[in-house]
Amino acid sequence: MKKLVALLAALLLVVSCAGVAMAEDEITLDVIICQYGNNTENWFLGTGMNGTSFVNKFETENPGIKLNLEVVSWDDVRSEVSTRITNNKQPDILNIDWFSGYQGDGLLMPVKDYCPEELFNDFFPSFIAESVVDDTVWAVPDLASARALYYNVDILAEAGVEKVPETWAELEDACQAIKDFYNGEVYGWGLDMTTDEGQAAFSYYVWNNDGGFLDDEGNIAINSEKNVEAIEFAIGLYKNGYTNPNPATQTRYDLQDMFGAGKLAMVIAPNNLPSYLAEKGYTDVHYNTAALPTNEGAKPGATGVMDRIMAFKDTTLSEEENAKRNEAIGKFLTFFYTPENYVGWVSMEGFLPAVNSAVEALVASDESFAGWLKVLDSCQFYPTANEKWDAMRVGVINVEQNALIGGDVKTLLDELQAELTK
Amino acid sequence: MNTILIRHKWEPYLWLLPSLLLMTVFVVFPILIVFRMSFSEISRSGVMGGFAGFKNFIDAVNDKAFGTVMKNTAVWVVSVVGLSTLFGFIVAMVLNADFHGRKIARSIVVFPWATSLVIQASVWNYIIKYEYGNLNNVLLNLGILKNAVNWRTTYQIEFAWECGVGIFVTIPFVTFCVLAGLQSIDAAYYEAATVDGAGFWKKLRHVTLPLVRPSLTVSTVLNIIYVFNSFPIVYTITKGAPANKTDTLITLLYMRAFYDQKKGAATAMSVIGFVILCIAAGLYMVISMRGEEEL
Repeated sequence: MKKLVALLAALLLVVSCAGVAMAEDEITLDVIICQYGNNTENWFLGTGMNGTSFVNKFETENPGIKLNLEVVSWDDVRSEVSTRITNNKQPDILNIDWFSGYQGDGLLMPVKDYCPEELFNDFFPSFIAESVVDDTVWAVPDLASARALYYNVDILAEAGVEKVPETWAELEDACQAIKDFYNGEVYGWGLDMTTDEGQAAFSYYVWNNDGGFLDDEGNIAINSEKNVEAIEFAIGLYKNGYTNPNPATQTRYDLQDMFGAGKLAMVIAPNNLPSYLAEKGYTDVHYNTAALPTNEGAKPGATGVMDRIMAFKDTTLSEEENAKRNEAIGKFLTFFYTPENYVGWVSMEGFLPAVNSAVEALVASDESFAGWLKVLDSCQFYPTANEKWDAMRVGVINVEQNALIGGDVKTLLDELQAELTK
Repeated sequence: MNTILIRHKWEPYLWLLPSLLLMTVFVVFPILIVFRMSFSEISRSGVMGGFAGFKNFIDAVNDKAFGTVMKNTAVWVVSVVGLSTLFGFIVAMVLNADFHGRKIARSIVVFPWATSLVIQASVWNYIIKYEYGNLNNVLLNLGILKNAVNWRTTYQIEFAWECGVGIFVTIPFVTFCVLAGLQSIDAAYYEAATVDGAGFWKKLRHVTLPLVRPSLTVSTVLNIIYVFNSFPIVYTITKGAPANKTDTLITLLYMRAFYDQKKGAATAMSVIGFVILCIAAGLYMVISMRGEEEL
């Protein structure tokens, strides 16, 4: 009996040692990825990557690194991350649009700590510049999208609009013509001032009137004269009956549906609108793209949206463990941005790339990419490196919605400026 | 002998222990955490700092939308609880009457209540979706309307729709609470009242109402809590837009916590809501119990 107990104890010891050894060799990375579309989850976790998943392929090619990867919807990602942070359970790697708040709270690692140099040099330098605070890069871009004007060719022709509007005055004339011809059955201009993406509307108008969120020195200048003029113009479009009737609750997706159904003549949308319309079965709509209309005399301001990948610190680890973790994060990034994987990812959801090595393959697969890449070159991006960006975003949407129900744009923007700079 | 006594003394608590443990973990503990958070500094990204005194409460009350939202919440609770109680009572009286197909009618009334609230709110959102909702389609097809109508032209109308949906989905709950009360009333009371020459209204006032009062108290107290805390209807239909003009306290605090990332102010609002609810439900119970004692 004693022998048996001793044998069992020895066996247990061997098994537990083996367990420890295995655990020491293996590292698990917590990763949060945002849901860009219907295919995201399938690509990362299902069978969307040529019959396998990103996680499977990565784990096979990188033995010793396990991924605990979660795909979270854009609606929930901020609350999920902030709840995790409050409970000290931040992910190792996070994909999101905003980084300055996490950086300001000292939660992020500088990119140079984990990103291999070769990969770092592959990113578009203008994109990297958008993630710099205090001369340090805190996040890398994962993809981008550019916005353009989509117009329904048939509606414009029927209403007698001969030229696609290039200036705000021409835009008003075109909207008036559509209003007169269709008597309210078709809206001229799509306006999305919802909490979903109202900041995008704000940027279209201010950037096409030489305004912006910040001044030349990088200080918040939300109530500049140019901005007041731009937002008053946008609200004027609504008040004149040129737009969809409920801009505070009709999201970009409502507008894209209306555009697809032929109820809306012009809408500002990202470069993946064609795939959205095709997926939803809007095959009858005959449309084309153009640059965003600009106020007379102002520089055209294309709007770009860029998302990022960042890595959080883990203060519970020793120096050696941290070095290992950083190496694993580097391997994750290298694997993600390898053209073989990355090109499939970017083109699957219809986005634009963030690394040079993907450009050639993307242009070869779809010619329209070349045009969009040119637009991307001239794009302005949200000032997400500013630590007040999140408050700015929420604030400008609030200003727009208050203006829609009769508030004075200048007073509202003055109040917001005071709140942001106090 | 002693051990039996001790066993008897402790036994009930032993049986209660699992539920008490569950309540502590899932109810008491989270409440305490929220109270602690409401007095702590919390950064936009969620890092919890030290003691902040009443700063979060001051931020919450000074929130530009707070006044409007408290007014909305009062309108929301009073109209939804009040009108659903009135209509629910009437429906219960009808369903209590003896008629053919009563069972079918009762099951139909249950439907809105048995469906998930988010689904109902989404369905209503489609029904009244601007010019292209189902309501317009039906009215246009029936020839009642010639042109499509936007049923949501102002935020006041949108909020009224939300209250209407709230009333619609709450009626079944009141109906079944009252119906249970009505069925427990002994028919002898009504016979006695008839013999004494009482008509419908007198019977309603002197027999039915006093005897269903306990059911009404239960349904009203529960409804105040449910409706005050109701989130899906407002969030699905307007998300509080434009500029929080259609928010109630619960949707505002959600937006502040998870959209604006102002968790401190949001937890303070949550505590304020909790206190208001405790007072309102407590007051209502005291008043109605006093009424019962007077009976």
